[in-house]
Amino acid sequence: MIRLLKIEFKKVSNNKAFWILLGLYALILGTIFFGVQTIVNEIMVDAGKKAPIPVTKISLYEFPNIWHNLTYLAGYFKIILAIIVIIFITNEYSYRTIRQNIITGLSRWDFLLSKLLMVIVISIAATLFLFIIGIILGFTNTAEVKFSMMFENLVFVFTYFLETFAFLVFSLLLGILAKRSGITIGILFLYFYIIEKYINYKLPDNWGDFLPLRAIGKLIDIPNTSLMKIFGLNFREFVAVQDVIVVLAYSALFIYLMYLTLKKRDL
Amino acid sequence: MNTEILTIEHLSKHYGKLKAVDDLSLTIERGNIYGILGPNGSGKTTTLGIILDAINASKGSYKWFGNKPSKADRKRIGAILETPVFYPYLSGTKNLEIIADIKGASYSEIPDVLAMVDLTKRKHSKFKTYSLGMKQRLAIAAALIGSPEVLILDEPTNGLDPQGIAEIRNLIKKIAKEGITIVLASHLLDEVQKVCTHVAVLEKGKKLFAGRVDEVLSDSVLVEIAGPDMDKIEAVLSKSDLINKYSKEDQLFIIELNNGINSSHLNKFLLEQGVDVSHISNRKKSLEKYFLELLADTNDKTS
Repeated sequence: MIRLLKIEFKKVSNNKAFWILLGLYALILGTIFFGVQTIVNEIMVDAGKKAPIPVTKISLYEFPNIWHNLTYLAGYFKIILAIIVIIFITNEYSYRTIRQNIITGLSRWDFLLSKLLMVIVISIAATLFLFIIGIILGFTNTAEVKFSMMFENLVFVFTYFLETFAFLVFSLLLGILAKRSGITIGILFLYFYIIEKYINYKLPDNWGDFLPLRAIGKLIDIPNTSLMKIFGLNFREFVAVQDVIVVLAYSALFIYLMYLTLKKRDL
Repeated sequence: MNTEILTIEHLSKHYGKLKAVDDLSLTIERGNIYGILGPNGSGKTTTLGIILDAINASKGSYKWFGNKPSKADRKRIGAILETPVFYPYLSGTKNLEIIADIKGASYSEIPDVLAMVDLTKRKHSKFKTYSLGMKQRLAIAAALIGSPEVLILDEPTNGLDPQGIAEIRNLIKKIAKEGITIVLASHLLDEVQKVCTHVAVLEKGKKLFAGRVDEVLSDSVLVEIAGPDMDKIEAVLSKSDLINKYSKEDQLFIIELNNGINSSHLNKFLLEQGVDVSHISNRKKSLEKYFLELLADTNDKTS
């Protein structure tokens, strides 16, 4: 496993696209994390002018709610990580290095495992990035920090890891099936933003909750803020076990499909 | 020690109706420089792809070192297929490090193989900046990592200038002298003649012929003979002083004649001995001619 990871790290070490996109992800997400409160409060103030009940400024950065708020926000940007993974896997096809890797002595499972390990590393990195920013923002914005508050709601951080991992596994599967980066990214956007939403619309009741990307996105629901309460909305403030099980099942299925594809297809 | 490095048995690969490899059987022994000769599209690369586990066979089987295919045995083989394949944004050294990591070989081999293919000066340049000849040489260097027992080279001189071709051929001979078994796929008769000890000729995925290069492609006359009573032919042949040696292959005797003797001498002799011969032909001539015709055909189609 260590050997496989070492090989993958060597592959990306001098790959400019990989590091630029990763840097871009950190920059965008960092800016949004630090700036979101100001933006939301401006909207709140505007909304407050017309509201029948007075609206107070809210803090998105207070422990323990910060974990729910940040992980929910970060969920919108996992698509950037997906693009990184897609470029990373489809390069192996366009350079034909996947074939050379196998010829040189990797089994097909080794090859898949090395990519999965890389997906896990990227997911851990994204989670840690969020965690560190969360700690900084939490400490600077919570009036009285108690140690227990810091770790309350940390389940959202673990769930965010699962959300990222499952989404990247799905992207990896698309990359292995389509082999070309442009086509794969196109399929991902089309499916994510249009096709699945249409299928969900057509399906009865809650059946759509079992669609793969919807299930992944549903892991962390919209956080309740006082803004939501104005509109009488109330969202789920916990992670549902059912969602976790559905997402884990999909991840296992995707990994199995990738293995089958790699095994059956000529390189 | 097991002398059979590779045994291929009844291997076939179908793409729909097209038979890229058609019931191919081969045996390659330790120390052979084995040429797989055939025009473009004759199934050379597909065959190599199958025995390297990049392509799934439709039928048939193969064994490396007498074992069923495994990744452990694949690490004893150094191979390049078609064009050299590396990560373009990585240096020569980094690319070889990846190969060494996969093979479980030590990085300490890298300077040696780079020196062997004369790439030491450019080892830190990115692969995409290499010339075609340098790419081919890096591919050979990569194949040499992990001290392989077998080296598989697919058209290693493709697209090179005459000087580059000469360099690669000398390199192959140098490697062969170290006792490494080499499998060389080529569409060049001349290349196989100059480099190889054994050859199999492929056309449309079928094996036309296999044997020693000096027997198949040399100037000495080889004669094929067949008849209804093969035992009687053998009895006569074994006593004859016209022939140097003979061997039996399928339903044919392959006869190497002594100097100054040709096939009509042999035919006359056999008739005098009362042997019924249904088939007699000069093999070497016909094969070479046939192969050149094959190549001419494919050249016509591509030009």
